[in-house]
Amino acid sequence: MNILIVDDEPAIIAALKPVLGGQGYVLFTADCAKSALEMSRKHPIDLVLLDLGLPDADGIDIIGKLKEYSDPTVIILSARHLEKDKVRALDEGADDYINKPFGIEELLARLRAAQRRKRLAGKSEASKFVSDQLHVDFPTRQVRLMGQEVKLSPKEFSLLEVLCRNAGQVVTQRKLLIAGWNDPAADSQYLRSYIALLRQKLEYDPSEPEHILTEPGVGYRLSVSHKLKEM
Amino acid sequence: MLCYRKLMQQTIHSKQKPVSLASLVGDLTIFLLATAGTYFAQSLDRPITSVLIYLTGVILIGARSGVKKGIVAAIGASSIYNFFLSAPAFGFGVSTADEIVPLLAFNISAIVTAAVAGRTRDSAMSATLAEAKNATLLNISDRLQQAVEVAEVLEIARQTLTPYGVTHLEIHVRREGQLYDIEMAGQPVNALNALLKSRSDNGGRLSVKTCEMVGTHGDLGFVKFIFTEAMSAGGKLLDLQAVTNLLALAIDRCMLLDALSEARALQKSEQLKSAILSSVSHDLRTPLTAISAAASSLRSYEKSLSPAQKEQMLATISEQCTKLNRYTANLLDMGRIQAGISASGFEEIDVVEILGVVLSHVRQSFPKQPIRKEIASGETLVCANGVMLEQVIFNIIENSIIHGGGQSEVLISLRAEDGFCVLEVTDSGPGITRADQADIFRRFFRSESQVARGGSGLGLYIAKGFVDAFGGSLEVVSPVKDGAGTAMIVRIPLAASMPTGAPK
Repeated sequence: MNILIVDDEPAIIAALKPVLGGQGYVLFTADCAKSALEMSRKHPIDLVLLDLGLPDADGIDIIGKLKEYSDPTVIILSARHLEKDKVRALDEGADDYINKPFGIEELLARLRAAQRRKRLAGKSEASKFVSDQLHVDFPTRQVRLMGQEVKLSPKEFSLLEVLCRNAGQVVTQRKLLIAGWNDPAADSQYLRSYIALLRQKLEYDPSEPEHILTEPGVGYRLSVSHKLKEM
Repeated sequence: MLCYRKLMQQTIHSKQKPVSLASLVGDLTIFLLATAGTYFAQSLDRPITSVLIYLTGVILIGARSGVKKGIVAAIGASSIYNFFLSAPAFGFGVSTADEIVPLLAFNISAIVTAAVAGRTRDSAMSATLAEAKNATLLNISDRLQQAVEVAEVLEIARQTLTPYGVTHLEIHVRREGQLYDIEMAGQPVNALNALLKSRSDNGGRLSVKTCEMVGTHGDLGFVKFIFTEAMSAGGKLLDLQAVTNLLALAIDRCMLLDALSEARALQKSEQLKSAILSSVSHDLRTPLTAISAAASSLRSYEKSLSPAQKEQMLATISEQCTKLNRYTANLLDMGRIQAGISASGFEEIDVVEILGVVLSHVRQSFPKQPIRKEIASGETLVCANGVMLEQVIFNIIENSIIHGGGQSEVLISLRAEDGFCVLEVTDSGPGITRADQADIFRRFFRSESQVARGGSGLGLYIAKGFVDAFGGSLEVVSPVKDGAGTAMIVRIPLAASMPTGAPK
């Protein structure tokens, strides 16, 4: 997989290079928006790690252009408290974000999730999501938690399906509202209630969820910390 | 000072009646009585007595009513005496030299005594006037002492000067070369306009006088007095230039006070800055030192270190980085609180959900910490910012774990109560002394006994700042029971109980 790292801080690139290279990723780097666009035009980039604070442009503004050439997955590198920027970047087409500073494990997990999603998107619609605890069959709408069947209402299932199809990546409230109610302006109170219901059914302790994680101010993420098998 | 003021007002009232009819009647009465007495003495052929009676009358009038009336009385008396009383009666003729001498003596002494008595009376009057003037100035100066701000000077001057017939007062102050009307703060005014125009020209019979103010640093602007005719005619009581000098003095003092308090505020913010810097340098340097030591050891002594030691050093680097990260986040949050948090970005969020996020971080940071939860079912929706609320809850739980004493259990309870979502975090540590309780929400506060445990002294300050922004409260209760334990209680209004519907 070809990864383009866009960051104007050489130390970050220097720190990421050995590990990502060791994982078999092919790395390209850019220190400004201009060179990032040039790189993505010249090379078939699969994934961009994009810092938002670039010297010559706001990273958010180049997401659309980056996506024009080879439709790479875009992961935003952002500071924790800038949740507005994150939501805006996700609305602009970014696929995920990771808070700076991050641990390398966290970054690798995001990369794997992006890679997996990309591979699935290449095939026809995936029909199943399987982790070591959760088993979701999309056509038959069957959900099993540690082998036990779980009954979900149609709305609960559509929300879980979106989360599963983006497993490991953040899904914004807006996307979930569209999936569940076909209306991005629907009352987020409904969404919260249905997420709470899903947690009641899927979590060991709903007040400390392990599967459906909250991303404050942004949305939800289905955790894939468990080993994944895809079909 | 009160008696002065009373005196002043009495003086003003008497001055405001220009010519007193009563005193004129009095003078006439004295004159008629003296004339009658003289006539009586003359008829008894006692010319010296008659002259003396007349003279006494003239002196009395001079003393009562001043030089002018005294002289009028003297001339009147000598004419009447000469014409009616002295022989030959009904004629100015003088028959003998014996009669000329007393007549001349009478005329001269009448006029001179009247003049002397009148002048004495006039100088007494002007002494009273001067005293009244001084009293006025003292009164004004006394009142002006109370002014702390320039605007107050104007207010006080108006109150004090109104009884003297000053209907309107404008003060224009020069600051950095620009002229400002005190009442219209902000916009500088055109000096010429300010001098010529008057905002209270209402066509009445008013006089205007403008006096320049001079302060310690030269030109201070000018004062414009607008007063009634009565004041300009009757009362020479107000020495406007002296009043202006007093105003200049007061304004000068206020401006100096202003500059002083500005300097103090600056000094305070400088102190805060240096407190931040010293805290920052300490709290950044400690983890950096650990990282630097571990990293350089790994580079230089890689071969002599056991795998366990290497692992230990790498773990140190990782931990200290987390610490550094949390500290910089705290500094950023402090900046947000200082800049003021707008509620516009708040949305409905479920405290239970955020608590879940926090707990997963807490369990990562403190894997061995026992935590007990009591989450009541029911509404826990509040209007807040999710990331900020996450920080609040994390900081409070972290504080309880660090200061809770060893590995003892931390209890987290969440419930709705009287329109509030109440989150209570209780530890069973040594508690917080009453003296410290007042300080724990202060920036950079670290309890004496707890300094060794670390922490930036920002966690609870940030938690309180954010909770305040949500319209809630954060309080500490310690000891909880048996002289130990501390409870931190967060109350945030439930979204359902907010007066204006929360954003959907």
